[in-house]
Amino acid sequence: MRIELSVNGEPCEADVWEGESLLYALRERLGLPGSKNACEQGECGSCSVLLDGKLVCACLVLAAQAEGHEIVTVEGLAEDGRLHKVQEAFVAAGAVQCGFCTPGLVVATADLLARNVYPSDDDIREALSGNLCRCTGYAKIFDAVRMAAASL
Amino acid sequence: MELLRPSSPEEATGALGNGSRALAGGTELVPLIRDGLVKADTLVEIRDVVPRGVTGTRIGAGTTLAELELDGEIPQALREACAQAASPQLRSMGTIGGNLLQATRCWYWRLGFDCWLHGGETCFARDGAQREHAVFGNDKCASAHPSDIAAALLALGATLRTTRREFAVAELYRLPTDDDRNVTTLAPDELILEIELTTPDASTYLKAMDRRKWSFPIVGVAAARFGGETRIALAGVAPIPWLLDSVAILDEATPLPGTGYKVEIARALVRRAIEAI
Amino acid sequence: MARLIRTEKEVEGRYEEVWIVVDEDALDRWPAGPLTTVGQRVPRVDGLARARGQALFTADLQLPGMLHTAVLRSPYARARVISIDLEPARSAFGVRAVIGPADLDQLTDEPGYVGHAVAAVAADTFGQAQAAAERIVVEWDVLEPLLDADEAVRQESFVSDVANYERGDFERGLGGADVVVEAEYRTQVVVHNSLETHQAVCHWEDDGITIYISTQYIWGIRASMADHLGLPPDKVRVICHAMGGGFGAKNSPGDYTPIAAELAKRTARPVRCALTRREENVAAGNRNATIQRLTAAATTDGTLVALGGDFVNAVGYSGWSATTEGPMKMLYACDNVRTTQYPAKLNLPPMAAFRAPGFVEGTFGLECLLDELAVKLGIDPLELRRMNYADSDRTDDRPFSSKNLAECYRRAEPHWAKRDEVRARSRGPWKHGIGLASQIWYGGGGPPSYAWIRVGSDGRAQVVTAMQDIGTGTRTAMAQIAAEELGIPLDHVQVSLGDSARGPFASISAGSSTVPSMGPAVRSAAADAKRQIIEIAAQRFHLEERVLDLRDGQIVSTDGGSWPLTEVTGLLESGQILGQGARGPNPAGMQVLTFGVQVAEVAVDVETGEVRVDKIVAIHDVGRVINALGAESQVEGGIIQGIGHTLSEERIDDPATGSILSRTLDAYRMPTIADVPEIVSELVDIPDEHLTNLGSKGLGEPPIIPVAAAIANAIRDATGAEIRSLPITREEMLRALREAEAREKERRGAAAAV
Repeated sequence: MRIELSVNGEPCEADVWEGESLLYALRERLGLPGSKNACEQGECGSCSVLLDGKLVCACLVLAAQAEGHEIVTVEGLAEDGRLHKVQEAFVAAGAVQCGFCTPGLVVATADLLARNVYPSDDDIREALSGNLCRCTGYAKIFDAVRMAAASL
Repeated sequence: MELLRPSSPEEATGALGNGSRALAGGTELVPLIRDGLVKADTLVEIRDVVPRGVTGTRIGAGTTLAELELDGEIPQALREACAQAASPQLRSMGTIGGNLLQATRCWYWRLGFDCWLHGGETCFARDGAQREHAVFGNDKCASAHPSDIAAALLALGATLRTTRREFAVAELYRLPTDDDRNVTTLAPDELILEIELTTPDASTYLKAMDRRKWSFPIVGVAAARFGGETRIALAGVAPIPWLLDSVAILDEATPLPGTGYKVEIARALVRRAIEAI
Repeated sequence: MARLIRTEKEVEGRYEEVWIVVDEDALDRWPAGPLTTVGQRVPRVDGLARARGQALFTADLQLPGMLHTAVLRSPYARARVISIDLEPARSAFGVRAVIGPADLDQLTDEPGYVGHAVAAVAADTFGQAQAAAERIVVEWDVLEPLLDADEAVRQESFVSDVANYERGDFERGLGGADVVVEAEYRTQVVVHNSLETHQAVCHWEDDGITIYISTQYIWGIRASMADHLGLPPDKVRVICHAMGGGFGAKNSPGDYTPIAAELAKRTARPVRCALTRREENVAAGNRNATIQRLTAAATTDGTLVALGGDFVNAVGYSGWSATTEGPMKMLYACDNVRTTQYPAKLNLPPMAAFRAPGFVEGTFGLECLLDELAVKLGIDPLELRRMNYADSDRTDDRPFSSKNLAECYRRAEPHWAKRDEVRARSRGPWKHGIGLASQIWYGGGGPPSYAWIRVGSDGRAQVVTAMQDIGTGTRTAMAQIAAEELGIPLDHVQVSLGDSARGPFASISAGSSTVPSMGPAVRSAAADAKRQIIEIAAQRFHLEERVLDLRDGQIVSTDGGSWPLTEVTGLLESGQILGQGARGPNPAGMQVLTFGVQVAEVAVDVETGEVRVDKIVAIHDVGRVINALGAESQVEGGIIQGIGHTLSEERIDDPATGSILSRTLDAYRMPTIADVPEIVSELVDIPDEHLTNLGSKGLGEPPIIPVAAAIANAIRDATGAEIRSLPITREEMLRALREAEAREKERRGAAAAV
């Protein structure tokens, strides 16, 4: 089936199979490999994207469910100078190691800061609990979120 | 596979049955289909036909857990159960109606072992690897029901309105039997539309997990006080959400060698929940 | 001058004697402490690409016509294939090639563990390959698996020889002891679960093969695949630009690389073979389980007079047996030590190195036992460790190239001194306590490793070496070292790595060896380039070379002269200055090790068994620190992985069939950000004056080593409960608490009877 949706502010179309995930469509059909496939079933958050402004795992959303909706991926954040700060903060704070989880964490952090300009540590724990990172130990991710919040 | 987008509940139920499945948030159904545990020729997308949002004491079944965890008007037990369920990503898609229908996390069931709950002869967990498994109602199947929200609604004495009937949430669940391995009474072409809440004087939900967040319950305890009466329900202790008629029922638990610790935890959390309300 | 030396080479605690040609010029030692770039807190040079989602992982690679692979893996732990029919898969939609046990060594008709590869399908999409693989018809003869490690020891089912060790006389030591403690400790199987699963894309071009792979060892993949394919190594090109985590599991080609290579050959197309998350949890290696039956004996003054242990490593079907007994042999100055290590071969998935293999497990046992001993002796646990401090490697009496564990202990004192304060936080069911554990491990790296540097007319430098950055920040560390030596700004250095066809041999990124192996080669290459620049400058400015130096992008002379570097390099036009460097040998006759101590503060809910780690202080001695920011991140990453190992992670096996039940990330529980304690990390940062031109050791592994014991010891401090088994789930915590209560009751009963 053919679907129409908005990705990173651009209208686009994709021919998808009814059962395929939004993540597959983004990575394999729309040339947006930033969202990563790591667990295949919504447990790690590496594929986090915004669907109509809500943080979701793209691997659990069927591409067909995204028909007519607005998607923002990690590739779309950098367009917006305000959100670019999150990416800068992740680098400056040392919150990136292998970087495979980073796109998902960046999207989740951008989502948090859009809702909550001064997140407490507990707010950060809650908002990023769905994003697994196997390298950094998360401590620098706290630093990055605080740094990004301060720069916004 | 086909995807249908009906425009009314009637149209949706008309399309259900005969190998089709209702798709709401998809956080449970999508992986189950991918793993071949649910077979569906047709998916019926119901997000636009099931009520969504909270009106007084009525909650649309399509309301997401993320919306409910922020709602200051709903009873605390339900709000806390929503906030402690899954991860933010899953809560922003997952609906309350879908959450009530989620399947067990039993690893034998999830890996597609030909187990009793799947229609086979043997509960592999009873003699095998067990720790997240049941301490009540477990003589045929040791699986544990993972819904935090179901326990909360059970304690709150909520009622459900479906496309066919209205009934107490307790009646949604049934212990599976040799003749019928389903854990719910919902018909294949029946949709949950709304949840009607009662308003307790106080309520709470306490949850023991393997991680601080983003875990299914080892034991979840929902407690609600209505005047002098306190209702308590547990998640993660039986193949279905478990209403505790009295605290003494904990003495009648039938834990397996690997699940006895759950009774101990339940005892502590029940006491704390009662103290809290 | 090139020199041929015979030397010991160590990776992950395994030694071999090898001939190595080394070619290294001695360089002046840099002063200790932070320098201009080295030792500073430097953000990743490649961080922004990763944060933007632009870094190209193997998982992201798209090649024209690329096919995808599904692997049929054995559902049985031990079985024989009576017959296999691949035809139904061959005729399935989208399928381009199907291979079975007759076609490739890595595909077996006698699987020895659940997940053993049996057949593989290449198709246009992964979904098609998967559907086709399900159509393969196998008739199995299912055999009884061997799953119990103690039973394997009884049957003498081993992957290698039983390792016996004794120094002094253990029995005599025991006979002279005033206090003896014995305990059995068990550790579980844990899985690396890197977020990028194991995968490779193989592409035959001309008469050779290009392998894109998520790996920790480009040159190892090149060598083993050349051997496997019968090709000259130069016909095998291995590329890894960004990889999503390894932790020891990605040192070899696995089964997926040979499978992709074979399918690519048969289809004349690029072929991807990527493990799914489920396969990752079954067939990609693991930290094997151990059983440790330990004895420690001391005299009343705290002198350890005997240490002994039987260590059973439940290695799995294949793999190697890590030195779980290593800490017992090496950490303390005990004269009488006896260990036996049994490498049990089982019908369970093979182990793979996992961040300090053996020492993580062995430190849990030894350091818990030492605290049990301290309690019985009535000696402060930190004091007991100091009393038995080893001044040399007691296994062969070699001196340490450097050891600053005493300094680590000294720095731990203020944290340790808070014991009463921490305990006083106990309220209601929440009991607070504090515990510590020491760390010993390798991490010295070694030769060979090479680097080239080219400096162009613009005065910018490029480091070229065919190593890999496994996510630890290697590009950044190498850029810092080159910038420091060349006296140019960090952003004037670029690091080109990740391609065996572009640059010289570089070491494996495992065994905490990347910085100590590669860093000295990069410094040496930069020094070579710098020497040439100075030679040219001396001619250009009519000065003697010895009065010239490079600093802050300037050529400076001792009389105060200063010229921009480009005034010299600009003369080159299209020419380049080429520097080359090699890693020199490790110091002869010395043992190079890393050390540390961690202090954990925990809280235990004694009614529900919940364990909360509030704080971990990590103090490690790894020589010179190259990047303070990256080093901290390594420490934090090791600690949170250690917390997962200690509290929640466990591969679950079906006890009857050996099937793996925890295959997804809800059943296999890695810590989330909500599980992170306060982490205080301190690095002693004293260069090892005997080790290379940098004095740096590795830091990847040390931080995970003492975590479990520090937490378990803090739990004992808080509750009196003896943790004997990992992970410390609610049930283990509640079991230990009830056992402690029963012990206490018995003690009181005995006291009353007297």
